[in-house]
Amino acid sequence: MSLERKDDHDHKGWMKSRELSPLETIYLTTLIWLDKRLRVVDYLEILEDLYYKVNMQMPKSHTEQYNLDNKFWYWYPLYALGSFSTIAYIVAAISGALLGFYYAPAAAAADGSATVAYDSVLLIMGQLNLGYFLRSVHRWAAQIMVAAVFLHMLRVYFTGAYKEPRELNWLIGIILISLTLVFGYTGYLLPWSQLSYWAGQIGVEMSLSIPLIGEWVAQLMFGGFTLSQATLQRMYILHVFFLPFITTAVIALHIGIVWMQGIAEPH
Amino acid sequence: MSDNESDDDVRTDGSGSGIVAPDDETPSWSERKQRTQGLSRLTYEYFERGRREDQDLRQQSDYVERDVLAFPAWPHEMMRNLALTSFFVGMILFVAAALPPEMPNPANSGVTPAIILPDWYLYWSFGLLKLGPLNPDLAILGGQKIMADRTYGVLANVVVVGFVAIVPFLNKGSARRPVEQPFWAAVGMSGVVFSLTIAALSIKNLIPMDSHLLFDLTFLVPIVSATITYAVLKTMREGYMFTLNRRYYRLRPPK
Ligand code: HEM
Repeated sequence: MSLERKDDHDHKGWMKSRELSPLETIYLTTLIWLDKRLRVVDYLEILEDLYYKVNMQMPKSHTEQYNLDNKFWYWYPLYALGSFSTIAYIVAAISGALLGFYYAPAAAAADGSATVAYDSVLLIMGQLNLGYFLRSVHRWAAQIMVAAVFLHMLRVYFTGAYKEPRELNWLIGIILISLTLVFGYTGYLLPWSQLSYWAGQIGVEMSLSIPLIGEWVAQLMFGGFTLSQATLQRMYILHVFFLPFITTAVIALHIGIVWMQGIAEPH
Repeated sequence: MSDNESDDDVRTDGSGSGIVAPDDETPSWSERKQRTQGLSRLTYEYFERGRREDQDLRQQSDYVERDVLAFPAWPHEMMRNLALTSFFVGMILFVAAALPPEMPNPANSGVTPAIILPDWYLYWSFGLLKLGPLNPDLAILGGQKIMADRTYGVLANVVVVGFVAIVPFLNKGSARRPVEQPFWAAVGMSGVVFSLTIAALSIKNLIPMDSHLLFDLTFLVPIVSATITYAVLKTMREGYMFTLNRRYYRLRPPK
């Protein structure tokens, strides 16, 4: 170890020798602190590498190639629908998390009396400041997400964007639209109102009529062959635990693939 | 790095060999291949081929560096989308404020509501459950149906979703625009229209129309709209629109 080498690592001295603004000082101090412990620089190198791979290798588009770039592709506004689905999903997630502070999935009787779940929704709507608005936002965000996803699928279909090499993303999309619908369905049951109850009834009957595994599915998803507390609790856990995790991960994968492959050219 | 330092000195400052091996130290695919056998060997062999293929394609192509045909998600798309975000979120908040949801009565298993309905976006699926009349019955079984109507309905759901899923494997080729592939555009239109008519069928007790007529229309209307779509697109391909798009089609003649 030479002395010079030590100098090389004298970051404090180096920082002093530069005239840094306070912001830069704070930034560098934090960076060095983290880097000493976590070797951030190595990972930054990987990230940088990745960034350039992703961005520098960007495909040349048809519009560039054929010099059509001043031509307006009249379906282009519809290309925002995928993002709209994502945004609506985020809005629903935030408002849903807030609703979750007040909602309780309990006492699922079905004798026409208000249950704990039903009452907690009433509380949100009646007592809570801005509660009614919150519930409204959550509902509308969910509805708009479903609509956006469906329209997004149509735009992908009619622009032929599902063709090679994007078949996989189409299949992932099918999974996503199913997840979205199940999200909506499980949420629909949560207030445990008349509509919820009878929609649940259809669900149980549908599961029961699946050949061979019907009863098993009904047990798993609805906690029995008739609707009860078990049903409500399962719908709740699906809606606030399983589905959010799964859907978020699949959306990230979906968009990651779009990022890698680029948006299909409208030839 | 100071120059009086020997190269074999271990460097820990992230220059030199960090966790990313420098290019000259990274084994090539064939070097890795040497040490392996079986499936992993095959994998490496394929990689090497794949690399070579990419390389060849790149050299043949008149593009510089870039070989995928698409437009970049970043930044073109993302910038546009981020700009639209606030507008869109504003729209959600506005609609939510203007049209708050209702709250029906508490669940009551004793009182069946006049109409049982899921949310609107599940109407299509609900409608498919009502296809009982189409469930074939076999003469051998004495007019008995092979499966219960509701099993048939669930199966119909699986078939519809399954068909949509395999579209990319049925329709291949490079055509993208509906005008270039009138048939598939017509299939798509019939699908869209069917999703609406089947939704209407699912709420048939709300629709002031003879339910048999509605049932027939559920299937007729999609077929009619598919035919119209096909005809219109065929016309566009030869007529007025074609002239408009001549510049484009000179570059990519329709197949
Ligand atoms: C939660 C639901 C979904 C989200 C959040 C989502 C998000 C996105 C986004 C942001 C894009 C970028 C291009 C664009 O915005 O149009 C995209 C592209 C794509 N999506 Fe989705 N999507 C969803 C559902 C679906 C569905 C249901 C399908 C089809 C069955 C699908 C198939 C595709 C395909 C094939 C692409 C590539 C299109 C191209 O390159 O032009 N996605 N998606």
